[in-house]
Amino acid sequence: MNMPEQGLKRDYSHLIQEGKVHSSMYTSDQVFDDEMEAIFHHGWVFVGHDSEIPNTGDYVLRQLGKQPVIMTRDKDGGVNVIRNRCAHRANMVCGYEGENKKVLVCPYHGWVYDLKGALIDVPHPDGYPDDFDKSQLGMVPATQIGVYRGFVFASLEGSGITLAEHLGDATALIDRAVDLSPEGELELQAGWLQHRFKANWKMLPENDCDGYHVETTHASFMHATDSQAMDLLADTDAEPPVVRDWGNGHMEIDFNVAYRSRNIPFEWFGRVPASKLPKYTAAMIKAYGEERAHELSVTGPPHAIIFPNLFLGELNVVFYYPVSANECVQLYTPMSLKGAPEVNKRAIHQTEGAVGPASFLIPEDVIIAERNQSGLSAGGQEWVDLSRGMHREYEEDGKIVSHMSDETVNRGFWRRHREEMLRDHSA
Amino acid sequence: MANYELINELTQFILKESRFCDQSLYSDWESLWTDDGHYWVPRGPNMDPEKHVSHLNDNRMRIQTRIKALNSGTRHSQLPVSPMSRVISPIELEAEEGDEYQVGVNFNLTEMAIQSTHDMHIWAGRITYQLRRVEGELKMARKKVVLVNGNEPIPNISFLI
Ligand code: FES
Ligand SMILES: [Fe+2]
Repeated sequence: MNMPEQGLKRDYSHLIQEGKVHSSMYTSDQVFDDEMEAIFHHGWVFVGHDSEIPNTGDYVLRQLGKQPVIMTRDKDGGVNVIRNRCAHRANMVCGYEGENKKVLVCPYHGWVYDLKGALIDVPHPDGYPDDFDKSQLGMVPATQIGVYRGFVFASLEGSGITLAEHLGDATALIDRAVDLSPEGELELQAGWLQHRFKANWKMLPENDCDGYHVETTHASFMHATDSQAMDLLADTDAEPPVVRDWGNGHMEIDFNVAYRSRNIPFEWFGRVPASKLPKYTAAMIKAYGEERAHELSVTGPPHAIIFPNLFLGELNVVFYYPVSANECVQLYTPMSLKGAPEVNKRAIHQTEGAVGPASFLIPEDVIIAERNQSGLSAGGQEWVDLSRGMHREYEEDGKIVSHMSDETVNRGFWRRHREEMLRDHSA
Repeated sequence: MANYELINELTQFILKESRFCDQSLYSDWESLWTDDGHYWVPRGPNMDPEKHVSHLNDNRMRIQTRIKALNSGTRHSQLPVSPMSRVISPIELEAEEGDEYQVGVNFNLTEMAIQSTHDMHIWAGRITYQLRRVEGELKMARKKVVLVNGNEPIPNISFLI
């Protein structure tokens, strides 16, 4: 859908305001192009997890904004994010995921690259002059790459900030997930479910941390299952779950405060009795000591968005690709914990129940998002309201916190979004 | 030589099961299952359901939960239900042991996603059934659906596939 000022530089400080966002932020192709440039090409984005490529020569294909990339494990053990484009005539060097590779060979004319993307050989080199400089003709790596506890992030064109600055305090959210492994590591090896939505990509982060929709959108799930989330909300003695804006666009629904106050081990994990996880419990005590192991078993994993494209949703790792203003793809895998086969065995089936195209929860969010996308085309109201809870949010340890159903986190997301859209990347 | 009476009986069962899916006759469909039923949609062939995440991997309990959600009247992703039509290939009796038959078919399913986009979705693949005779009646002990696009980004499968 085009705005009258299509073609002009958009004023994002006007289109994104505290408590309301202009509809065109979800529907305009020009906004989409600007976002891909500012947020997905310049900004830090989640690429994958290093446990997906444990061995030298392992690789996976990903899409960062409009650019296809390859994430490789090189022979020094390093992780690389390189553009999937041959320096010769731009063919995609790797067309599909497959067996481990020693080198990357372009199938068009056979140029050969090492696992870091450096050009090492070209067939029939006599066609090039003596001063032909192979070192200038590699597959171009991301300008910035950083790994935090196995989570690989990259900025293709350079963000102007470090990964540590981008993540800020939100590393604590990643820690909350990874610390559930007695070895302090994740092992993502179950593969990804891929789900296509005909809706704008921002509906995903906005929905994933939206506590307001659960009762209505997910009514069928609540009806069909004995859901621990419902008990949690009904328990008036327990601390209520809250939403928390972690800054930099990172955000969470903190169910963990509620789980902690109820102090029931593994309530977050479908209330499985600890006796069913004896080896895990023993390994956790050995790794962390009795007290901390108990605390971890009670608190559970986060339900959080790392801006812009990573969702840690209980024991699921979720990320998404924007495709166009009106389409995106979301991917899911169980958050397998290293050294915890008892947990992983169950987690895989929880993933299947909760997320993915045939699951109980996300298909509902998809339909709502798709109808939401259509609703945005209706005129009469230019703005999307995100004001819920502005009158009652409060500060706690320097973070804005509010009732679980409040749009505090959406506002936090959009603040960062606007900041990135207005950032001068030429500097 | 094939036992045509048996082939015909198995075929009729599968055609009925397909029609229950097409027409979203949830409870009728649920009644086709044995008590140990397993409904499985892996991402592709050669997957291990304990190691690789599947689109759908329901034990009998979860089949019941799925039907309860679909019957709740609030399963938005199937409100209204998708009009569907599936074409089932002639069946292949792949194995037979006692009262149990393993049957393979190819299918082609056209689904109208009338809940939101009104896109027409084409689904295709191979179904492997484990059918068992229980007190004289055929029941479904396992239904495995391998989609041709199971490892691609796909839209919702909240109907019965
Ligand atoms: S395009 Fe890759 S070798 Fe020619
Ligand atoms: Fe949801």
